Amino acid sequence: MKHMLRLLALLTSLSLASTAYASELTEYTLTLHNGTLSPRTLHVKAGERFKITLKNTGNTPAEFESTSLRKEKVLGPSVTSFVVIHPLKPGSYDFFDDFHPDARGSLIAEAATPE
Amino acid sequence: MFNQVLLIVWRESVEAILIIGIVHAWLSQSGARVGLRYMWLGVLAGLGLAGLIGMALMSAASWLSGSAQGIFQTVMVLTACILIVQMVFWMRTHARTLKTELESGLAHSVGNAHYWGIATLVAIAVAREGSETVVFLYGMGMAQWYSGAMTPFLIAAASGFGLAVLTFQIMQLGNRLFSWRRFFAVTEVLLLLLAASLLVGGIERLIDLGVLPAGPDPLWDSSALLNDSEGLGGLLATFAGYRAMPPLTAVVGWVLYWGVIATLLRWQRRRIPMTVRHDTSNGMQAP
Repeated sequence: MKHMLRLLALLTSLSLASTAYASELTEYTLTLHNGTLSPRTLHVKAGERFKITLKNTGNTPAEFESTSLRKEKVLGPSVTSFVVIHPLKPGSYDFFDDFHPDARGSLIAEAATPE
Repeated sequence: MFNQVLLIVWRESVEAILIIGIVHAWLSQSGARVGLRYMWLGVLAGLGLAGLIGMALMSAASWLSGSAQGIFQTVMVLTACILIVQMVFWMRTHARTLKTELESGLAHSVGNAHYWGIATLVAIAVAREGSETVVFLYGMGMAQWYSGAMTPFLIAAASGFGLAVLTFQIMQLGNRLFSWRRFFAVTEVLLLLLAASLLVGGIERLIDLGVLPAGPDPLWDSSALLNDSEGLGGLLATFAGYRAMPPLTAVVGWVLYWGVIATLLRWQRRRIPMTVRHDTSNGMQAP
């Protein structure tokens, strides 16, 4: 039990640190509306952490989910939240609204073009 | 809307049902009826917990929706993984002897401690899948309430749950249709795969929390070959921990997991013949 508490305390401080870090990240917005995603393709920069603000503007709940981005976030009706994504290699990553199985989108991580 | 509600209620229940179904079939088969009470206690606790988590998930401002939610989920997922592995190995050593042990009253002390483990495992399984169902049904229910189409919604939710119960019944039937030995072989593999998938999920959450380093990430990309977010790949992702773009740490964890399982199995196989010899002697059990 004591070890468990110590582990919890450690995890809490670590995640608080990462939340503080999250506020300075590049931000992208994804709107989920009763099974409609906008934009359906998100273009992000590869190789850096970033934040996706998730806005559920519909009157049904939504769940932003992506196996390759390792995220699952449940959003009640008209709830706004965010996820922080780890630095990505250039490529395409799928995401979907798990509560509206037809709503699928993709995230394209692009390498910065050399000047 | 109808299909969506039915599908999601059923699908969210399948993982929990897999665990409850196996525990139920095993407890009733092995004559450990006391354990069934613990199992249903776990189901009830899980439902209560699912309601609480569901409510917390629904409001973005609550502490459960922030980083604390990530920590809570990580602890839950890893605990479930450990409990499943422990249950599988307990089943292997005690399945054959439990009936006689219980009859002679010797297994009670061993049993009670493990029944709490089983109750916890079932509670976690129900709470994990149930909390999302709570959010989904509550949100969809509100939407239907305002548009005045409550009846089809209720029918769909009930059908989804009915389908889940039917799945449970088929599992029970399956255990009568197949031989006891085969039932064990199949469910052991299913549970160990599920535990592996929970472990991979837990490791990924630990990476996101900054507790573990990711290593080269992704280590490979097999998404063109088998996509992990839909179809067969999605199923393998949920029930076996498949990833199309895994970070090194998750792969290492997965390999270590199967290494440990293989070692434990080999170690146990060397010990089981001894237990059997004890059983067949004169009813005296090894302590």
